[in-house]
Formats: sequence, structure tokens, C-alpha cells
Amino acid sequence: MIVCPNCQHKNVAGALFCAECGAQLDGVETLVTQAITDEQIAEDLKKKSVRPDTVPTPANSWISLHLMDSGKILPLASRNEFTLGRLSEGQPIMPDIDLTPYQAYASGVSRLHAVVKRDADRVLVMDLGSSNGTYVNGRRINPHVEESLSHGDILALGKLKIQVLLRNI
Amino acid sequence: MPGKQDYYQLLGLRRDATQEDIKRAYFDAAQKLHPDKNTAAGETELFLDVQQAYETLFNPKRRAKYDAVLPPEEKIKLPYQYNLIFSRSSLGHMAEPQMLYAILELEAPPEARLSPAPPLNVCLVLDRSTSMKGEKMDMVKATAIQVLRNLRPQDVLSVVAFSDRAEVVIPAAFSEERSRLEAKIQMIQPSGATEIYQGLEAGVKEVMRSLEARRVNHIILLTDGHTYGDEQECLALASRISEKGIGISAMGIGQEWNDIFLDVLATRTGASSAFIAHPQDIKRLLLEKFNALAQIYAEELVLSLALQEGVDLAYAFRIQPDPSPIVLDPPLRLGTILQDASTQILFEYIIQPKAVKSDLTDILRGTLKVSIASQQLPVPPLQLHAKLPVSETAELNPPDERIVQALSRLMLYRMQERARDEVRNGRIESATRHLQTLASNLITQGERGLAQTIMLEVDHLQKHSALTSEGSKKMNYGTRALLNAPPKKE
Repeated sequence: MIVCPNCQHKNVAGALFCAECGAQLDGVETLVTQAITDEQIAEDLKKKSVRPDTVPTPANSWISLHLMDSGKILPLASRNEFTLGRLSEGQPIMPDIDLTPYQAYASGVSRLHAVVKRDADRVLVMDLGSSNGTYVNGRRINPHVEESLSHGDILALGKLKIQVLLRNI
Repeated sequence: MPGKQDYYQLLGLRRDATQEDIKRAYFDAAQKLHPDKNTAAGETELFLDVQQAYETLFNPKRRAKYDAVLPPEEKIKLPYQYNLIFSRSSLGHMAEPQMLYAILELEAPPEARLSPAPPLNVCLVLDRSTSMKGEKMDMVKATAIQVLRNLRPQDVLSVVAFSDRAEVVIPAAFSEERSRLEAKIQMIQPSGATEIYQGLEAGVKEVMRSLEARRVNHIILLTDGHTYGDEQECLALASRISEKGIGISAMGIGQEWNDIFLDVLATRTGASSAFIAHPQDIKRLLLEKFNALAQIYAEELVLSLALQEGVDLAYAFRIQPDPSPIVLDPPLRLGTILQDASTQILFEYIIQPKAVKSDLTDILRGTLKVSIASQQLPVPPLQLHAKLPVSETAELNPPDERIVQALSRLMLYRMQERARDEVRNGRIESATRHLQTLASNLITQGERGLAQTIMLEVDHLQKHSALTSEGSKKMNYGTRALLNAPPKKE
């Protein structure tokens, strides 16, 4: 029996893909998303955040992700939708934005964690059924339900905190 | 008396063939080579040899005498190449069931690319029910005329139009001028209900007129509606004609046809169904279908399996060409081998602990029969016998890349397959969850359009506890088409 690291579904031994969620199952041991507790997240959220108006955003991006632990800012443009997650070798699951360089694994980011998209005059976030959840300003959002984002909101993918910087919205 | 030729090879038989096998092989060969039917030079002589081989082998006394002086069997040279890949090189000793995947790959020899395209014997069975009125009917007629113009002298085409009754628009043996035939197609008028059996039955009759083993014998059914009450008859007919080497490709136009039924109808014959979302696609898809038929190297791939107890074949799917599920009722009809592309069939096994007792477990034991139109002689059946060793420790090698690739795409098809099944059984919540997961997976594989279709279906499912007819077809055929597409990631 193989327990799927993504959805905990019990698969028959020898299965290569989870029958429930489609995640690839080989080399399972090293690919488990690290479990973290809600308390840790709440505590971490108390840490500093920048004042939104002090951060510059490049001209044509509609959203920038400010990775609060590293201070790095990722401006996103050209598409109306980006999936966030963590790349792992040999996986069919490929996020648009790979958060591996920002301690994604240790922070409990799933391989396919959430999606941010632009819809008319709103910017939305949706959790894609991640293991450790997605939080907006410390409130856990329901998976597969879109939530709107405002400039300066703090998004947490598991423990990985990202401040959302929006342009003209 | 053993002559220059091995009688068993001549008839495409194994040395342990039964009386029944011998009779059948003789009939098959005679159908092709009989002086009343044969066309190529030398076939009459060959027929006489076949006749002699049959008379020798069918008589047990003479067969025993022949066998006594027969030199040992030479390695049979197959007219196609095959390869069998497993997801693991050994099975584990464990107290629970385990899963194993295999891909059977079949390929025409390189010289087949140069061989001429096989002559076709195709019947177009066209729905002319009232609902076809307008663009659909016009496109179908225009395409049928195009097909007629594209025909080569060696091909036979017949056309049947049906509603609640059928009429033969163009009979299989035509001699009229092409312009008159085109006018006949133009005169097809839509009216009446859809009764697919009527059309199929008339189509089968036409194909039977020119039924020859050296041809690709095929029915292409185009319809836009549900058939009423004659599904079982249609399926029984499909099973009967598949034994004769006639395939049925089914193409559904628009939203109102029954994809589950047409899929079963076509896959029973080893062919597949297709979804034509818009009338303007009719021409392209139908002409593509004809091209594919003209590229067939081998057809009637029939796999008879004798599986060990506790080794269960849980799922089979043709990865390429023409991705399609395969009906698990024995024998398995795997489809065709094209001249220039390999055929890949994926098998999923569940192996129970009781089957893993000895050191070696039989995974695949069976016979693959193939019919090759361009060959005079019957093709000897391929005996497949694959065993896997049993090891104490877990397998550490990563699975074969081709299997992982195929599964990563097939999994998407299977997710929607299951979700649709759940909807039919009223398990809306579970179906919703699976479709959402599928949409997420599609987004990660770069298939945003299809993901969006599925999210719309999720909305519809939550409001109405059902899928839309169009959306469920888009899912079904859209996820299949992904198997053809190269992966979008590098």
C-alpha cells in the first residue's frame, strides 16, 4: 500500500499515480509535504511586513509577490493566471512559479499549492487542495474557492508568507 | 510428404494447432487465395499448396506421418516488431495486492513504409434524421463528395443514408459516372428519427459485397443523435462483424449523441469513436479518418489472454495511435498497426498475493493474432509469455520513462471517466471533488482551456446535479487527445 503524500489516499502497492488526486507516487518518501501546525503559522504572521506603498513595482506587471522572509520581490506579467508551488523532479505537476528557492519545502508548500489570477478588475487567489492550506491575512481559505485579494494582503502558503502587491487595483 | 515448405508455416499455425485451428486457418487462407477471388499472379499456385497443407494436417493419420519427418521448428520470423515493457522488473513478496503496468508496443517493419497503401472497402453510414438539417447535413454531403473524388481506382466506397429507415445511396460496386453519384449524395434530404441499427445493417451489407482480406474493410458512422431502443442489436452486430474483420469508427456531431454507446460500439471492433464539436470540423476529421485507414499496415489485432489465477487485468487503453479505451471482454481487440507509427497498448494489472507464491509469476500469457492485408499468407500467431521474478526487497529502480509519461496523461482521462461514472451513480460530491482535482492537474500541465471547461462543469454539477452533454463530451475526448499531444512542459 502506498499513501499518497498529496491527499493521503491509500493506493495499491506498485501504483505510479494516485488514483484519487493524480499525483505521481514513486520515490514517495522524499516528497512528502512537511506538516506544520496552525500555531506556527499564526506566530509567524506576527512578524514584520513592509508598508505597501514603499515597494516599487515594474511597469507592466499586475501583481508582484513580495516574499517576506527573503525580501525578494517577484513581479508577474504577461499572463492572467499563475500557479504557485514547488517544483520536484520527475513530477507531472509543474507550477508556473516555483517557490523552491524560497524555502518552499521547509515551509510546507505543496507541489501545486494555489493559483493567483486576474479577473476583470479583481485579483483572486484559490487554494488548489494543498496539504497545509492557504491563508489570507491569517485566515485559512477554503480549497477550490476563489477569494479576492487586495493590495498589501499577506498570503501564506503553509508557512511561506507572501505579501501581495497589486498595481492600479 | 514434407516438401520444400513447412505446412504449419504456410497456414500460419503453431505445431500444436487443434483441428479447429487448422480448419479456421484454411478457411481464412482460402478466402484470400481461392481462384474465384485471387487477383495477383501466383496466388492460384499458392492456393494449391495451401489446399495440400490442409488436406495433410486435417487428417490425423497423415498429420502424424508428416510430423514424424518434419524438421524441428525454425524460429518464426514475424512480419512486425513487438516489445513488452513492465513498470517494474520484479514483483514484491507481500501480503497485499500489488499493481503492475505494462506497455505492449507493436511496430511495422521499416520496409512497410514503402509498401503501397492497402485498398479500402469503406461504407459511409450517414445520419439524415431531421436534426441534421442545415449546416451539419450540408457539411456531411460536401465531405462525402470530397471522399468520392479522392478515391483511388482500387478503393470501393459505398454510402448509406439512414433515419428510421436506411437507403443505399451509392452501392459498393458502382460503375456509374462520378457526377451522377455526386448528384445522388446531393439529393440526401434530412427527415425522420435516428435508428442507428437500420443504417449499420445496410452499411454492413454493402461492405460484405466487397469483403476481401486484402482490403481495409470499414464502416464510418456519422450521427448527431441518440438511437432509440436498438442499442443491443447494434452492439451484437458490431461483435459479429468484428469477427469478419470489419471495423466501425463512430463520429458524433454536436452535443445530442450518446458518446458512451458509440464508444462501446466502436471499441468492440477495435476502432474508436470521435467527437465533432462543430459542423465545420466534419470535413477535416472525416478526411483524416480516411487517411488513417489508408495507412494501415496490419489490422484485426486480437489478443487472447490466459491469465494466471490472481493476476487480473484491470484496465487496458490504446495510448497510440488513436487513443481509446479497450473493452476488457475477451478477446481483446487492440486495433491496428499503422505503416509509420508504433501502436502502444497500456495494461494495468492487479496481482493478488496468492499469485506471487513461486519465484516467477506469469504476467502475460496469450496469443496475438494479426491480419496483414499486403501479405499473401496468414501471419503466424504470436505467443506471448512474460514472467516476472519475485523478489524479497522492494524494487528501487525508477519505472520506465515511457510508462510514466503515458500514465501521467492517461490519469487525466481516467479521472474524468471516473467522475462521469460517479455522476451517473448520483455521487455528486465525490464527482465534484474529482473534477476539481482534474482541473488543477490540467492547469499544471498547461491545459487551461480544458481546465476551464471542467470548472464550468463543476458549477453546473453543483447547481443541477448533472453534467452538460457538451461538457462531458469535451472532457471525454479532450483528455484522450492529450495522449496524442506532446507534453507542454519540457
